[in-house]
Amino acid sequence: MDIANSIQSIGFLTDLRESALVYPFVLSTHLACIALFGGMILMTDLRLLGLTFKSLTITEVVTSLRPWKRLGGVIMISMGLLLATSEAVKYAPNPFFWTKMTILGLIGVHALVFRPIVYNKTEELDRSPVPPTRAKVAGALSLVLWTGMFTMGRLIAYYEPKQPAPQASQVTPLTNEALK
Amino acid sequence: MFLQNAVADALNNTEWAFPLAECFHIGGFAVAIGSIVLVDLRMLNLGLRKETAARLLRYTEPWTLVALVFILFSGAALFISQTFVYIPNWVFRAKMVVLVIAIIYNFSIHRMVASAENPSPGLSKLVAAVSLVLWVSIVFGGIFIAFV
Repeated sequence: MDIANSIQSIGFLTDLRESALVYPFVLSTHLACIALFGGMILMTDLRLLGLTFKSLTITEVVTSLRPWKRLGGVIMISMGLLLATSEAVKYAPNPFFWTKMTILGLIGVHALVFRPIVYNKTEELDRSPVPPTRAKVAGALSLVLWTGMFTMGRLIAYYEPKQPAPQASQVTPLTNEALK
Repeated sequence: MFLQNAVADALNNTEWAFPLAECFHIGGFAVAIGSIVLVDLRMLNLGLRKETAARLLRYTEPWTLVALVFILFSGAALFISQTFVYIPNWVFRAKMVVLVIAIIYNFSIHRMVASAENPSPGLSKLVAAVSLVLWVSIVFGGIFIAFV
């Protein structure tokens, strides 16, 4: 908690949190990245699954969208860092936030596993008439992971820390009615 | 104040229904806008150059349409659950105006230019840029509703 507090007390993060305009602007940019670049991830996954863009090679889809996804990733993560660090005290105890970070870690693992056998081997994949199983697995897992990401992102806003136990005087006395 | 209708009941009286509708809304716009952006990217000559914009549009349009249905239904559910919050909100009203413009634009001008045989590169770029601005501003509108 102390660490979280010192993080979010950093000058510009305090300014960000308290700004009526900058905070929603950063949040909107984070969301707009989902629309612009999340869509590219999704379309790549659909191509890997063989569900659309069949006249485009996997190579074309993967290599042509790669620089845009990288740019999107950098913007998305920078905005996400600003959002999380400026509200560090709220985020630190939030289980949805940590679930999201775990999924982000799993996305890293996904990249480590599938980059050498799918994303960097697209020409090999294109020689097969239907996408091979490993390509479909990569696409399907990516869909699941990213759905988890934005769902957890949304749920972060709904976590309410447990209230301290109510004082004896505030406890509603049991009535006879309730005991029946 | 409580609204008396089935959708509002469901969204206001269970903990998970409102966030679930929001997740459908977000997932929906990722697909809808994401699929439109791919065509825009091609029209701007910034990616997927081995395929024509017309062909890309044919691939992406079914996804755009299905996702748009998801967004409109989940959005309508969110709206109905707290009309008294949204109606007086000027950002919400602006968002609705831009949304109507964007949908009409997407299925008229944008569609026409994207599927044209030999559109002038300048016109294509302009049409794609307008499309990007419209959709991104709608996402911004959605967030700013909560901050005015």
